[in-house]
Amino acid sequence: MTVPVEYYVLLSLALFCIGLFGVLTRRNALMFLMSVELMLNAATINLIAFAFYHGNLTGQVFALFAMALAAAEVAVGLGIILVLYRNFRDVDVTVPSTMRW
Amino acid sequence: MEPIALPDWAALGPALVLAVTALLLFVVDAVNPRKTNRPLIAGTATVGSLAALAVAVWYLLAGVGTPTGEGGRGEFHIFGDPGQFVIDEMALFFMVVVAVVTAMVAVASYDYMHDHAYFASYYSLVLLAATGMATMAAANSLVTIFIALELASLPSYALVAILKDNRGSVEGGLKYFLVGALSSAVMVYGISLVYGATGHLQLEAIAEVIAAGDAEPYSGLLGLGVLMLIGGFAFKTASVPFHFWAPEAYEGAPAPVAAFLSSASKAAGFVIAFRVFTTALPIGDLAPMGIDWATVFVVLAIVTMTVGNFAAAVQENVKRMLAYSSIGHAGYALIGLAGFVGPGGSELVMSAAMMHLLVYGFMNTGAFLFVGLAEYWGVGRTFEDYNGLATQAPIACSALAVFMFSLAGIPPFGGFWSKYFLFTGALSVGSTAMIAVAAALVVNSALSLYYYSRLVKAVWIEDPVPGREGLSQPVGLYAAIVFAAVMTVAVLPGFGPIADAATSAATALIA
Repeated sequence: MTVPVEYYVLLSLALFCIGLFGVLTRRNALMFLMSVELMLNAATINLIAFAFYHGNLTGQVFALFAMALAAAEVAVGLGIILVLYRNFRDVDVTVPSTMRW
Repeated sequence: MEPIALPDWAALGPALVLAVTALLLFVVDAVNPRKTNRPLIAGTATVGSLAALAVAVWYLLAGVGTPTGEGGRGEFHIFGDPGQFVIDEMALFFMVVVAVVTAMVAVASYDYMHDHAYFASYYSLVLLAATGMATMAAANSLVTIFIALELASLPSYALVAILKDNRGSVEGGLKYFLVGALSSAVMVYGISLVYGATGHLQLEAIAEVIAAGDAEPYSGLLGLGVLMLIGGFAFKTASVPFHFWAPEAYEGAPAPVAAFLSSASKAAGFVIAFRVFTTALPIGDLAPMGIDWATVFVVLAIVTMTVGNFAAAVQENVKRMLAYSSIGHAGYALIGLAGFVGPGGSELVMSAAMMHLLVYGFMNTGAFLFVGLAEYWGVGRTFEDYNGLATQAPIACSALAVFMFSLAGIPPFGGFWSKYFLFTGALSVGSTAMIAVAAALVVNSALSLYYYSRLVKAVWIEDPVPGREGLSQPVGLYAAIVFAAVMTVAVLPGFGPIADAATSAATALIA
């Protein structure tokens, strides 16, 4: 007995919304990064579930690429957060506001 | 018979040349880590991007992408047929844009970054981002599009924040990264939904499924996926609703990086948007399902150009004004997608958008490089700080006047022609929505003349700021600015071939 694909989509949609909620409410840059990761993982769940549903491997292969890209993105993001901390002594994303229109 | 038959993968030549140059820069820097040979590094980057430009122009002239029936060599597909990459005229056209902007930025950065500790890293990142952008031009599957987009984005985040001790640069980099990470997550979720609805990631395969009506039961998934894809493209092209990053990132970034992002990165964003929406999501089959993306782009085009131009009009900071004007120009280029009604009827407006992106590549890069020159002199950032620069640097200021009037769309310059084609193209589509878009284009162009001429007035007419010392003439920055100005003027007599290339690229894409 297999789980119908709709449940996977609901799961990923829930995960995506949790991530989006985190992005919109968290002020800590690291928490923001984690929330973005949740959203990326939601997409990965979708890709794998749909690959199973459609019976081709395209989605699974793309899921591997997506995970690698997510890791690369975190590497660059942590670097930027590090220089942010060195310059502002804080990782709160609302603190840097030297430029306003 | 060919004297030397190139293998098929060589069709991706311009992108490969850029990638090899980026790797070569790592090697050059690794040979002697204690000492940075600045002329060698800048020279390698410049020669590499010029070589990529030469290869792209050569392919265009040799007929790559021109249909075989017309004496060309046809489109090249890599990794399958229809493949994950396609090299057609549009791909080569945008590779030319990316390569020429990269070359100008590489030359100008030699002076701008002259005392920067991470000189070699800077150039490798520029070349890697350029590789990503050139690959985006040829990507023909949602997988390759997403990977190429990330290859262009990740170095860009680092480039914006490369002035590590400068608060503005770090803040710009942070905001660019946060919005970028969010929008790429949204985009990959959109890709997963499109995959769920159609079962394919390759663009032609998606179009086949949609045309056969097999995606009909999943129109909700597909519609949401398309909307999320638009979000991803809006980020890359700095359009509403993902445009917030642009003013901060451009203002904080080193000026050559701002030039690079606002010209090459924007063009690359548009090329994937053009390809995805015309190839994979045929409007004729989707509109009956309620997924009328052209209407979304009509709204986005009008809102983007209005937001960009009105915000630019109230800026005091020159770089920030240019950043908002860059958002406005993204709105103009979006007309190419807003006017899409399927084969026959949209070629003119689509090709006009491509022409605009090419001309914009020269005039906007030049304008940002002038700001780079002003930062190099250390004269300050606001309009008042630029007062009377023309008495001390007449050549650069003449070039600035050319850029400003061309950006505003005044007749003797290249910017006029591309806007004229956009206008006539929008009218030729003929729908009420497109007439509204054409009207918005005219109103916004008229408004933009106000703030562009304000800068020209400050530079040429106002009295010089007292006590400013004699300004130096950095060779690299001057060369790049003068080249951009010459090209902005030279596209006027040369507009026939450019228009032909863009038109046949658009025709081949839409057909």
